[in-house]
Amino acid sequence: MREEIQRIKEKTLAELEKVNLMEELQELKVKVMGKKGSLTSLLKQMGGLSPEERPIIGQVINEVRTQLEEAWENQARNLEKKALARRLEEERIDISLPGFYLPKGHQHPLSKVIEEIEDIFVGMGFTIAEGPEIETDYYNFEALNLPKDHPARDMQDTFFITEDILLRTQTSPVQVRTMQKMKPGLPVKIIAPGKVYRNDDDATHSPMFHQVEGLLVDKGVRMSDLKGILLYFSRQMFGESREIRLRPSFFPFTEPSAEVDVSCMLCGGEGCRLCKGTGWIEILGSGMVHPRVLESGGYNPNEVTGFAFGMGVERIAMLKYGIEDMRLLFDNDIRFLEQF
Amino acid sequence: MRVSMKWLKQYINSNVGPEELAEILTSGGIEVGAVECLNKGFKDVYIGEIKAIHPHPDSDKLQVCLVQIDTKELTIVTGATNVLQGDKIPVAVPGAVLPGGKEIQPTELRGIPSNGMLCSDKELGIESVGLDRSKGGILILPSDAPVGKKLEDYLELDDHVLELELYPNRPDCLSMVNVAREVGTLLGVQPSLPEWAQGEVPVWPEDIKQKVEIENPDLSWRYAALLVDDVVIKPSPLWMQNRLRAAGIRPINNIVDITNYCMLEMGQPLHAFDRDKLNGTIRVRLASQGEKIVSLDGTERKLDSDMLVIADDRGPVAIAGVMGGLDSEVTDKTTKILFESAHFLGASIRRTSRKLGLRSESSSRFEKGVNPYWAVPTLGRVAELLIELEAGNPMSFTEKVCYLPPAVQIEVSLNRVNKVLGVDYTSQEIEKVLDALNFAYKQKQEDIFLVDIPSYRQDIKIEVDMIEEIARVIGYDRIPTTLPAGAQTGGRRTPEQAFRLKLRKTLIKCGMNEVVSYSFVKKESDQIWGSDRGNIPLLNPLREELGTMRTSLLPGLLEIASRNSARRNMDLLLFEIGSVYLPKELPLTALPEEVTRIAGLAQGGDKRHWLVPQAKYDFFYVKGILSEIAKESGVQFEYRRVEGSKYKTLLHPGRSAEIFIQGINIGVVGEIYPQLDQEWGLQRPVLFELDFAQLFKESNQTIIAKSYPRFPAIQRDLAVVVPKDIPAEKIQKRVFELGGELLKEVEIFDVYQGHPVPEGHKSLALTMRYQSAERTLKDEEVNALNSNILSGIQQEFGAEWRK
Ligand SMILES: [Zn+2]
Repeated sequence: MREEIQRIKEKTLAELEKVNLMEELQELKVKVMGKKGSLTSLLKQMGGLSPEERPIIGQVINEVRTQLEEAWENQARNLEKKALARRLEEERIDISLPGFYLPKGHQHPLSKVIEEIEDIFVGMGFTIAEGPEIETDYYNFEALNLPKDHPARDMQDTFFITEDILLRTQTSPVQVRTMQKMKPGLPVKIIAPGKVYRNDDDATHSPMFHQVEGLLVDKGVRMSDLKGILLYFSRQMFGESREIRLRPSFFPFTEPSAEVDVSCMLCGGEGCRLCKGTGWIEILGSGMVHPRVLESGGYNPNEVTGFAFGMGVERIAMLKYGIEDMRLLFDNDIRFLEQF
Repeated sequence: MRVSMKWLKQYINSNVGPEELAEILTSGGIEVGAVECLNKGFKDVYIGEIKAIHPHPDSDKLQVCLVQIDTKELTIVTGATNVLQGDKIPVAVPGAVLPGGKEIQPTELRGIPSNGMLCSDKELGIESVGLDRSKGGILILPSDAPVGKKLEDYLELDDHVLELELYPNRPDCLSMVNVAREVGTLLGVQPSLPEWAQGEVPVWPEDIKQKVEIENPDLSWRYAALLVDDVVIKPSPLWMQNRLRAAGIRPINNIVDITNYCMLEMGQPLHAFDRDKLNGTIRVRLASQGEKIVSLDGTERKLDSDMLVIADDRGPVAIAGVMGGLDSEVTDKTTKILFESAHFLGASIRRTSRKLGLRSESSSRFEKGVNPYWAVPTLGRVAELLIELEAGNPMSFTEKVCYLPPAVQIEVSLNRVNKVLGVDYTSQEIEKVLDALNFAYKQKQEDIFLVDIPSYRQDIKIEVDMIEEIARVIGYDRIPTTLPAGAQTGGRRTPEQAFRLKLRKTLIKCGMNEVVSYSFVKKESDQIWGSDRGNIPLLNPLREELGTMRTSLLPGLLEIASRNSARRNMDLLLFEIGSVYLPKELPLTALPEEVTRIAGLAQGGDKRHWLVPQAKYDFFYVKGILSEIAKESGVQFEYRRVEGSKYKTLLHPGRSAEIFIQGINIGVVGEIYPQLDQEWGLQRPVLFELDFAQLFKESNQTIIAKSYPRFPAIQRDLAVVVPKDIPAEKIQKRVFELGGELLKEVEIFDVYQGHPVPEGHKSLALTMRYQSAERTLKDEEVNALNSNILSGIQQEFGAEWRK
């Protein structure tokens, strides 16, 4: 019987070596140690042995059993390792393929710039006012100290609907509309973004464009405050190291009037192509609100003063994003829009 | 205004260079647009005389000229045919350079050596110089041109011109004298000006025969006439021609040149009439309707009754301040002249010039405002030049003055200056500025100035004008930066502005690209897509196809989509948020309603990707985007088939819907009507347009957080086959009702038509989520609910359970 045990052991170990799959391993185990397995049936034959032999053979069988189980476990671990290695190999992907495409929309650069300007001024305590794009001659011109046939009206080529109704040429009419609504409340502290229209069309002019108007009316507003607010704005918009300079200018609705230049964001003021070698870039027009405009708005110019400014959104967008032809902004080619 | 540095330096003693002066002027508020060198880049070009011309022995296209320059004689071969023996011509000698950098070398042309080049005006970059014979050939100079002199010196081209871009408030700087004053102020140099430039009024015997009448004193305040005899018409002297050319005015003859020269000096437009062609009283009056005049340019002009003319007893002889009449033009035969120096109201001249489409140096000056005080001093200067140039004898004078603006005195308080500007100037600084400006003043108190504004500064009317004047002369750099000292305010967007921004961000999150299109569109497209209330036309559109204010955003989107598609950008998800303009009545008598809309266009599909099938931008894709809008707005959209409205013929009737919130129509969505897309070069785009104001009104953006249930949900799927015309939403709603309060959610996750589903039917797959807030549900009760649902819809819709 010992030989028989030994034979089963060797045969099983030899077969074990050849096993490749977990299922075969299981089958083999049943074949040897299952209820009808070869080793189990030897155990059943032990009844025919002498009482002296029985414990000895029993021990031998148990030893073999332990040995075989150990071998099985070893082989099982081996197989698991192999299976894992195979899976890793099989599940290998081409990591160079493009990742999943997440659709993404884009904000138009003009609305993006307007939002940014709004955020800066809202942060400084300004509220956002709006006014109609189709305006009366009164609000667009007369209330702004531009009577009929004033030569300064030539500065703006106007689209007319009737003799007295027109497309606003500037966001400035919102100044007077807001003042009339708020009087005698103080301070009047608004910005007014919106579309404006002039009869002009080339690489630097569009018949429709956008402006942001600003207005602060209060007791004791100074031109130095205008400079302070615009310096803060320019640094927020164009970078912390920007400087500004004011140049005398003319707008019928401000006096004194100033053109505002910001130090060039490309060269920092040394002179380059963008700033045409001057180191400065014109970004907006501004000034102290003309007494007649304060009167149009219902305020007494002896009691309050104010400043106003107006900037072209297209110009700022072009500076900010390096856009050379204004017409791109209204062409709406998606290859252009998808950059923003 | 073109300002010659040479001319300027007659009045200003300073060695400031053109570039430096340009900068000083610009930062002082007189913007210099460009600095131009009059010599366009030639060097070593001399005046030569043609001593002899021979034909070239070897060519019938060339001539050989013997040219004298100084003591030298040069042989030059030329192809030009307009030169004659004795002509004075510009010669580029060997070593000379022409504009553009071309260098002249001795050469040989068909065997004859050529030592230089005869030049045309184009080659030299100069204009309006030389005899008429110069046209198209070599520039032929007047016969008195000094042989051997450098052309640059002869024409005074060693000069720079500053191009002033004047704001409308400074018409005074359309005068060289006033530019000199301005430059003097900014440089701190006293200009040296002749007496006529300081307003000196000359005295002539009064002409008793020549009467002048002003019928419309509101439109013309003053009319002065200088009568001149013994006129000899000839070219003006070279120095005057050179000055005029530098200023951009073409020399004509001595009389015309004098009027232009004096206009440039003093800013006062002048006109010279041939007195022999005038009859009787000169009248400044309005034209009668339909009255005609042939203006100097030879065009017959029909006049309106609001146009000011100068007329004699027979009719109009000039369109006042705009252009003279051809009949009374000064010609070579003229011997007697009436020089007009008048005031006309800018607004009137502006209207007339606009209506006639006729602009002139004169009209553009009158429009901006001419100083009526200088009418007569300018005539004094005219008389002086007539005598100096031996052009005629000033004999007598006649004048009508109706009105002169009163002298302006302004009280300027130092305290007010400092308060408005935020500076701390001293009285001494103010005094210095006033002295630099040459404004006379008295001090009421140490810090209150009474300033007399000279008549040529019509722009200074009130104290703030003086404050600007002081600030700019001292320099805006002196203004510090401060922050407003007033009450602090909290800035924010209004709820409506915030909502608009939120919707914009939502659409971008949904993958849509924002566009901005013009508010004016083609009338026909807007009539198709826009409001029934009609649309607002522009009186003067840029182009016909931009002639109408839009009443819908859709034509603009179609246009943009069309442009993109033509460039092979076929896959489009576009939206715009903008106004449409709805008239209350037409033609407009009041401002129209401006209504914000949100519109979108989808075409094609999303980017093709190896991982997933391409999603098509169809009705349901867009409906998905709309439901995001509904979600962000806190509302439910209800979709009803388009019936009766104009969209019936614009959108596919089977693939479109009007959108409602609680019974209120707020917009429309749908695929474009078949074939309409081809007109735009598009492929089945889906469009939507929503009314922002309505959406905002109905929106509910309050968020009240609910806690989530502690007990697990049970999910069941159910597939049924129903007749295909029954809307899925109807079944979904019914299922929800049948499920009772434990059924929390029903979703449609599959729709299928075709084999093996019988003809005329569709298969719907629903998923249902049951949940209780109090307990864990048992399978049995969910099964009971599910079969209740099934039998319910079986009865109601004839639905079949599909296993
Ligand atoms: Zn730069």
